[in-house]
This record gives sequence, C-alpha cells and structure tokens, in this order.
Amino acid sequence: MLRLWFDKGTLLLKGEAGTPYGKWDTRVGCYRIKAYHYRDVLEYLAESKLQVEDDVPMLPPLEHLKSNVELRDYQNEALNNWCKARNRGVLVLPTAAGKTFIALKAIQQLKVQTLIVVPTLDLIDQWKKRIKDYLNLEADAVGGGENTLRMVTVTTYDSAYIHAEQLGNKFLLIVFDEVHHLASTGYIQIAEMYTAPYRMGLTATYERSDQRHSLLSQLVGDPVYSVGIEEIAGHLSPYTYEKISVELTPQEQQIYKSQMSIFRSFLQQRKITLKSAADFQKFIMTTGRDPKAREALLARNRAIRVAVNSEAKLNVLAQQLETYKNEKILIFTLYNDLVYSISLRFLIPAITYQTSREERREILANFGNDKYPVVVTSQVLDEGVDVPDASVGLVLGGTGSNREYVQRLGRLLRKKEGKLARLIEIISQETMEVGTSRRRHQKIRGAA
Amino acid sequence: MLPSNLLSVWKRKGEILPRYAKSSSSNDEAANFLIEAYKSHIGEKKKVLKALVAELEDKGYEYRFVRALSLLLDRKSTFVCQCKVDPVDLRRKIFQATEQFGLPTTSENRRKILEIVASKMALAVEDVEEDFYSDLDGELVLEKFSAPSASELLGEYNLGLTQTLLFDATELSFTASGNWQDLFHAIKKFGLIYEVYQDNGLWVKIDGPGSLFKLTRRYGVGIAKLLPIIVANLEWTVRAKVLWRFTNEICDFKLESQKHASLLKKPHLPIVTYDSSIEEDFASKFQALTTGWALKREPEPVTAGKHVIIPDFSLEKAGIKIYLEIVGFWTETYLLRKIEKLKQVEVKMLLLVNEALACEKLSALEKRPQLDLIYYRDKISLAPILRYLETKFDDVKFKEIKLLEGLSIRFTEPVVAFREFADRIGVSAEASRAFLAISPPSGYVALADILVSNEKLLQIGDRIRVAMSQSGKLPLKEAARIIEEEGVDDSANVLTMLGYRIRWRGINSEQAEVSKDPKNFGE
Repeated sequence: MLRLWFDKGTLLLKGEAGTPYGKWDTRVGCYRIKAYHYRDVLEYLAESKLQVEDDVPMLPPLEHLKSNVELRDYQNEALNNWCKARNRGVLVLPTAAGKTFIALKAIQQLKVQTLIVVPTLDLIDQWKKRIKDYLNLEADAVGGGENTLRMVTVTTYDSAYIHAEQLGNKFLLIVFDEVHHLASTGYIQIAEMYTAPYRMGLTATYERSDQRHSLLSQLVGDPVYSVGIEEIAGHLSPYTYEKISVELTPQEQQIYKSQMSIFRSFLQQRKITLKSAADFQKFIMTTGRDPKAREALLARNRAIRVAVNSEAKLNVLAQQLETYKNEKILIFTLYNDLVYSISLRFLIPAITYQTSREERREILANFGNDKYPVVVTSQVLDEGVDVPDASVGLVLGGTGSNREYVQRLGRLLRKKEGKLARLIEIISQETMEVGTSRRRHQKIRGAA
Repeated sequence: MLPSNLLSVWKRKGEILPRYAKSSSSNDEAANFLIEAYKSHIGEKKKVLKALVAELEDKGYEYRFVRALSLLLDRKSTFVCQCKVDPVDLRRKIFQATEQFGLPTTSENRRKILEIVASKMALAVEDVEEDFYSDLDGELVLEKFSAPSASELLGEYNLGLTQTLLFDATELSFTASGNWQDLFHAIKKFGLIYEVYQDNGLWVKIDGPGSLFKLTRRYGVGIAKLLPIIVANLEWTVRAKVLWRFTNEICDFKLESQKHASLLKKPHLPIVTYDSSIEEDFASKFQALTTGWALKREPEPVTAGKHVIIPDFSLEKAGIKIYLEIVGFWTETYLLRKIEKLKQVEVKMLLLVNEALACEKLSALEKRPQLDLIYYRDKISLAPILRYLETKFDDVKFKEIKLLEGLSIRFTEPVVAFREFADRIGVSAEASRAFLAISPPSGYVALADILVSNEKLLQIGDRIRVAMSQSGKLPLKEAARIIEEEGVDDSANVLTMLGYRIRWRGINSEQAEVSKDPKNFGE
C-alpha cells in the first residue's frame, strides 16, 4: 500500500510505485511531489488502480452556512465557466463588478474548507464582513496579529507565503483575490505549496508588464471568464474623468528645473537612455555602486517630490474640497509626507502604511457610515476596500501605472442610485507629471 | 539581519563577496560618529537623528553601510511617543469636530476647529499641533540607548550583512566544532532538510523540501537564521550557493573561522537545556557516582546513513566509547523513523527504552550487533546500566591483562604506582592493578595502589626501628614523614606490611602512635 502525506509544502509518496509528477528524493528515500499536483497524483493513482493511504488533508471542521448571495447574469456565467473548468481558473472582471460575490457563491456551492488570499489587511476585514453578511459564517484570519483557522479563513499574500509549510494542506478551495500579485517570484510559491485542488483567481488587471501572468494558467487555471467595463456598464456607476493642471510656484519651478538638469546631464554624459521600465531598473541598479548615478537619482526624486507635493496643488485641492463638500471623497497621493501635510492642513483622516490597524478600521468604518466625508491616503488603499458611496477621487500623484489608475477609479465605481463618480487628477504643468498622467490614462479603455 | 535593500556585495569570478566593514580608521570613525550621535540625541526626535545620519552619507560614506549601522543602533534604542494626550484620541476628536463644523479649507477655519478641540481637552492650540502626529515614526523621541563599542557594531554589521546575503542562498554546507544539537534542532525548526557527508570531518548540507524541484530562495531566510548558531562555535567552515539577485546567476560563497571569525560578532551559544527531565535525572544521578566513566551531554553526531543521530550522551573510559540514547515517549511515526535511523548506526550504542514502547519493531534493533537495549519503567535505574558498563569494561580489562601478561616487563624503580604504570603502557588503571596486584613481580610487594620493592621496604623498616628503639613507640606523624621521605605515600599500608600497628586516640591523627604488632613480631 502506498502512503501519501504532506511535508512542509510538498507531498511525499512512499511505497512500491512512483508517479510522473514526483521526483525521487534521496534525502528521505521517498517520492517528493509539488503540493499543487495533489489532485493530479490522486487521479493518476486511481487510474493506475493503485491503492493509496491519503494522509494529506488536515482540514478544519466544516460549519453550517446559510447563503443569500444572488448573482447577476455575468457573475453567474463566470462561475459556471469556472465550474466547467473543474473548479479552476481566473476570472477577469472590472473593479466593482462584484468579484467577491462569485467567490462567496462558489464557497456556498462547494461547501469546502476555503482559504482566501488577499493583498492587504484591510481586505481581510472586508472579506470577513462579507462572509458574515452573505454566508452567515464567522471567518478567521491568519495575519495582522490573528492566527486561527476555520472552515473559511482569510489571509494576506505575505502570511500565505510565510506559513505555506503549515497551511498548505488545510484547505480544498483557495481563492486568490487580485490574483495578479500571485505571479510575482515569491508569491508564486503559494500556488505551488498548497494542495487545494480547487482554485479561483480574481482580478481586474490580469496582464502584468513582466508577462509573468502566463505562469498562472498551470497553477491556478486559465482565464475562464473575462468581461470589459463597457459590457457591464449598467451595473456600475457612470463616471467622468477630469484633469486640472496647476503651475508650480516660482520657487518650486526653480528647484524642479535645477534638480532635473542634474539628472538629465548625468544621463547625457553617460549616454544613458531610459525608455522602458527595464531601462530604469538597470539604471537603479547602477546607483548602488556609482555615487554619481545615485546623486542623479536623488536629484530626480527631489524634482518629482517638488512637482508632486506642490503647494499650488494644495490650493486647488482646497477649491475641490469646497466644490464637492457634499460628496464622499478619497484623496490619493504618491508620497506619505504629502498625505500627512494634507491631513494636517485640512484636518482629514489619513491612512498610510504607518497607520495602526485599529485606527485604520475606525477611519474606514467612519468613512463608510458618513461620519468622515474625506479620507486621504497614499497607495495603501489602491486595492480592495470598497466604500460604495464614495463618489469623488482626487489624485494628487501616482506612479503612472495603468493598474494604479484602474484600481483607484475602481474605488468609486460601486453602483449606487443617482451616483456619478468623478476621478479628478491634479497635476503640475510642465513637469514629468504630465507624461506620467498620460501614461496612466493611456490604456484605460482596454483595461478598465 | 538587514533589509535586502541595504545588502552591499560584489561579485568576482563567480564568487559573491560581502563588503565587510573591517576595523579601519574610516569605518571606526563612521561607527563612532553614529554611536555618539545616538548618545547625544537622547530626548530628541528620530527625524533629527536621521538627518544627522544622512549627513554622514553626504560625507561620502556608502549609504547602505551608514543606514545599516543606523538601523542596528535603532534596535538598541527605545523610541517613545512624547505627547500630552493620546494622539489617536486627539485626532479622533479633531476629525469629529470637522464633522460638526465642516472641513476647514481656510486657515481661519482650521484655527477655529483646533481651538475648540484644544479648549475641550484643556490644551493650548500649539500642543494640539505638536501632538497631532506625534506617534509617527520620525516624531518619536529617543528615550534610551545602550551604546555598543565601534567594533561590536561593526561585528554586528558584518554578521547581519552575511545573513542578508544568505537570503538569496539556495543551499549551504557547513562543518563546525560543536553544538550539534542546537544546529540540528534549528535546522528542523526552520523547516530545512539536511544531508551529511564526510570530507575531512562531518559536513552538513542544507536546503529545503522544495529544493528538489528547482533552485529556490525560499529557504534563504532559514539558512540565514542558522548562521549565528554555526559561527558561535570555535571553528567552522561554511560554503553556500547564492543566486545573484540581478541575473539569477549562481555564485559561490565561502566563509571560514580562520579568516572571518574576527570580523563577525560572535553570538552566545545557548545554554544546554535537557529535552526531558528523564535525561536530566539520569545525568545528575550518574554524575553523583564515581564510575570512572566520563559522561558527555550531546556528543558529536553519529552518522546513520545520510542522516545523523545526536545521541543524548556518550560515555568514555579506557578508550571505550559507548553512545547512550534514551528512547522515551515518542509518537509512533517518530519512533519508526528513529528505528530506521538506529538500524544504520555503526558505532556502539546503548538504548534505554521505555518499556511501554516495547514492540516488534524495536526488537529488530536487538539483533543489531552494535546496539544494546535496556528497558526501563517510569524511571531509569542506574544498576543495570552500571552492570552493563562493567561488562563492557571487563571485556576490555581482560584483554588488557592478557596484553600485559604478554609483555616481559622489568621494573627497576623502588616504587611503581599502578596508575602511572597504566598510563605508561596505555591500559586502564583497573587492568594495571589487576595485573600487578594479583601476581606482583618478584622482588616487589603490592600495596593498595602501588608496588614497592622489598629493598625499599627493608630500608624503611630499618629507619623506623631505629626511630622507635628508645620508647618502642613512634608518633604516626613521624613514621609517615619517614616513609614519605623514602618516596612512598601509602604510609598506613607500608606500616601494616612491616608488622606495625597504629593506635588511634580519638580521630586526630596527630595523637596516633605506631608500635610493634605483637602478632607479627611474636613478642
């Protein structure tokens, strides 16, 4: 009789037969198999009429759930496609299209132990609430100080990665929220080290500029459903986009120009052209050993900082806050110090990576229940957290990535009767910000 | 360990080399500058301190080096939030006030809201401004700082640098002079897998379960955490394969105590703790006896195929080394694994097995010639173990006596100590005693621990007879002095042998007297 068990993120098979999925491990004298092949191995052994004692799953107890999730047509179609693909695959839907509900419905139908992997701690809270509201089930969490397992458990990519050796065999369904994160070099091992036979990936932005999303097909499943923003526009808020250019103050202009010229003349001297993200990465690498290159980089950063954090922008921001004082507003910036100067100047609650989890919870709850009409944040709220009636997004700076733009817009698109979402970008004229903004906006139609 | 972005390494011919901070005037200067900065900034904000650190960067010191040192000093510091009120609560009150009065888009409105909150909390507006974000990292105030020396700091930096480099390691091999138990415990704790091999000593190669499939950095952190335990030893050599982070090219990394020990901070070895009270109990009982067996806790590992067993104890006497392993309460799977390992052991090992575990699988071990089993119930009793050791030793003693008998030994010196003789020939004291006492060579008499020549005995006898010729008695002290002068230290036995008896008056030897024993002298 063969025996199969879980060993620190892998499977071990002992007995008189091997499998095409494994490799003989001389260190332990067994076949060792990547954990994600769990289902493949069982199927192979069954086909070969080989008996196996399967000691792999160590599942938390099942709990009774009562669901009241109603899916829209396109959500139903997405879920059906996923089921037809043997409960595997990636679903690509625009932000605010209700991806969460598809996953909740899948849990309700399969009724199996489920791990939900999310990018941020705020999203843990949000998922737990949804699970409570729509499945009538308490969920537990691993990460952010919590460390308990239940039938439905929510965790972050970081925790799922760090604890893969312990958590890998505890779930049958694994849901990757914002699955594009999974394709990164480290996180991809989560997909490899967990045994869950059923896998669902959710994202609005499947493609990665580094093309690593192609790895997801094997580990999570192919994209089995994809829908564009136009096709489901009826389910989203209508939105407008507006750009407001401001002039830097004379003093800011002077700093900006002098710092940028340090950077540019360095590039000229060294005959470096920076056309792509890869070029820039290479340049960053050289700054580690070349003090001149580092000085050039720092000058560029100082220039950008001046442009992004411009005083003139804050004046425009004041006008916008007046104009939309009856709306719910999210302010996005690139740098944390701008978050805090806005927070101090306008007495607006701020959320950055430094904000404690309790205070974040409190601020978000108060933002949700209308006590705080405005929240200012850097990049930490780009993903996830939904505040259905937030209607105005003021963008004071960003990285220029299309994904960031789509995500920030997504915060506002949750449908509410009579709501018109506005994304307003405030950029500094005649600076690199103009190009950054253009880049950010380029592919919006295709991706959103 | 340092954050990866502060890793400062370079590459030469496929070898990865950390930029170690050797003690030099410039490195010491940087370290001292920072240590002094921290010392003199107690009571100041962290951002002020960090601005000073940045100044050092501007002076041309490598920025990663400077920041890493500063980070290490942060870990020796206590930063606190110095505020009059809880800033979280203060912010809550301010945000709530804006709910009431609207968001201030003018500075007048802002001032008004702050004044309202300030008066409610019995604070000045300035205090409110000051405390608003006083809990942000840069606003925290340095309260305590325990200053290291410059060389300690550099040693810590170098160790941290090496560990950070190992984050990118795919495997590591090492050999070390001790603390194997800690090392193997740690290997297990960090989820790593090892293989052992011999190459001028025992080497251990470490990677992780997933290393079988591809080169992976996954186990780098575990490997890095192991490093301090390796270098805590007196001697060690480390070899690792490291992925160069920019190109994923595999590089070699080498570290050895002879070259690098002085660079690295030497971590303290953890104090040995016993796995279970059974072992502790056994050790203390055994050491209370004088058995001649040297008991050693956690001896060097014993190879068992590709694995090792670190026996609980080793016992050594007269060149016999017996390993001792206590097989207490274990889960079945663990026991089966242990049995598989024990089957491959090639040295003499005594297993003390809890009777409750006795099973068929265990009895398979009894057939292995190099293993011996003693079962125990509840508590380990020493008697069967001592008997066992005795028999093991008897075998040796018997062989040694045979050996001695085969030698033709001639003695010339007047006094021969058994132990000295044993050391000279290289046999046990017990064998030497048995050999010499049972059949003393002609011309010699055997006392408790020594041989004395007849000639010497007569010489002593003469001197004592002279000394007691007047009174027929001699204080024991005096007799002992004479005997010692003659180069023999066993006065009591010499006197008995010469036919004297010692008359004790109380327990004080000062008052004891020597006189002729009428039985022997027939008077």
